[in-house]
Amino acid sequence: MATEKVRTLAPDAASTGSWCFEDFVVGQGFEAGPRRVTEADLETFAAISGDHHPLHADPDFAARTRFDRPVLHGPFGLAVVFGLFHELGLVVGTEVALLDTMWTYRAPIYVGDALSMTMTITRCRRGRDATAGVVNRHVELRNQAGEIVQQGTTAFLVPARTAGPDPVGLAFACPEWGVALAAALNEDGRFGAAVASWDGTIGLRSGSDEIQLRVYRGRVLEAVRRTPAGPTFTLAASELTWTELVTGPRNDFMRRVMLEEFTTTGNAYEYLRMTKALDLIVDAARRIGQEC
Amino acid sequence: MLEARYVDVDGALAFVELAGAGQPVLCIHTAGQSGAQWRHTTTALAAHGYRVVVPDLPGHGRSEPAPGGPVRDLADYARFCLTLVDRLGLQSPLVVGCSIGGKIALEMAAQAGEGIAGVVAMAAEAGRGHIKLNSLERELEDIAAPSRADRTYLGTQAVLGSAVDEARARLIATMHRREDPAVSNSDLIGWGTHDVRGALGTIRQPVHLVAGEDDLWISADRVRWAASQLADGRFTLLPGIGHYPMEEIADFADVLAGWLAELTVRAAARLTA
Repeated sequence: MATEKVRTLAPDAASTGSWCFEDFVVGQGFEAGPRRVTEADLETFAAISGDHHPLHADPDFAARTRFDRPVLHGPFGLAVVFGLFHELGLVVGTEVALLDTMWTYRAPIYVGDALSMTMTITRCRRGRDATAGVVNRHVELRNQAGEIVQQGTTAFLVPARTAGPDPVGLAFACPEWGVALAAALNEDGRFGAAVASWDGTIGLRSGSDEIQLRVYRGRVLEAVRRTPAGPTFTLAASELTWTELVTGPRNDFMRRVMLEEFTTTGNAYEYLRMTKALDLIVDAARRIGQEC
Repeated sequence: MLEARYVDVDGALAFVELAGAGQPVLCIHTAGQSGAQWRHTTTALAAHGYRVVVPDLPGHGRSEPAPGGPVRDLADYARFCLTLVDRLGLQSPLVVGCSIGGKIALEMAAQAGEGIAGVVAMAAEAGRGHIKLNSLERELEDIAAPSRADRTYLGTQAVLGSAVDEARARLIATMHRREDPAVSNSDLIGWGTHDVRGALGTIRQPVHLVAGEDDLWISADRVRWAASQLADGRFTLLPGIGHYPMEEIADFADVLAGWLAELTVRAAARLTA
């Protein structure tokens, strides 16, 4: 599904090329490219990687495969992502360190393609020693036809300018976010009415982060990483889905449910019963997210 | 002026609204809903010179339930509509339908041949609809269908187009919440199991297939494909519109009148040829 991404640049650091942890905000979007793929790219990448598989090197071999003609090495696309990110010039003067990359290869890249990248910031968490933070980025690499050829997430470590504290409104499924969410829900009479006779625990998961809302008779009693009896059900989605859900122009939770962007584990009937409550939870998440 | 009638069809009373004079146009509603979905269309379309006929399908709106229980086969609804056309003495009507109504309209054209002058089928693929059959079957038991009203209310809003403002979206969803879940689920089982792809080649009448760009329940590409399989098929994609064009588009009667005028010209050209 095509989604409109918020495209903002932190005003101060943008020109200096020395973005710090505090300059990155969940929901920021960046675009870079296009970058034209050449014959020399294919040859050089084969030489660097040592991968001389005939899919890349032998047109006759490639012609007998699903690819029709020689394809670029998959990791070439990933390498282009980092090149395009460098060209954005955000952190050229900052000491950064790459932490992880979760990547899928969806379509081949050919010589002559023009590759463009969109990047969305999906998670910012300060480290324990407060001098640096981890910034996670969702990346989509597209060809000239607009087709996504590769996508995934890649996190990097960025030095911090201050010692914090950091805003919590977009720190999905972290404990401080859960506390803010619980407060917003307890102020919402519609939520109180929806769960007035309910006794249970709702797990909310964004990527690998999870918080649990302990709900009893119309109120959230607490929001914590783990409740003693565990969640009645857990609602999970990617960091990107949470980012778009909270920062997008309207609450399109049900639409995303229908598009199967969310998964649930636990008691399926209680999950269905909580349909309205979950929609109100997303409303509350959008309120605290947009206050940031 | 709007007229209302109850007509006996197969031993049950069927409710019909009628307006205007001229070429008959039968308008068929979506799963679980009623002719009320055409409330802004009926008299406005009649003003374009049509005899507009809006039935409530068996078990919906003001029609009595189908004698054999909720209908699960869209071909049965097509037979019901053709019987109604016969009882009302409508000569070669155009048929307009949305969602299951669109598939019913295609099925009517396949069943009736020359008895139907042309079809506008909106929000309908020719193949089986994308549903979870086991869940729908299970939810025919009330105990397995928690928060049905909330899910219909919020789920309806989720399939409306981005061009629909919030107040209209809430109104549409509130009216859709009036459904009888046993009837709606049976309709959706029909939507998910009925397949008119094999009959597309037999339909000689002009057919206009319409898809909303924001409709999650269908694939515009599959609707476009169905149009290509028809002897005289046309395809329109509606930007910013979802699964319920007649409720989402403010001046829908005028839009529909344009499509119907074109269908009439194509039908006349075919008969002359």
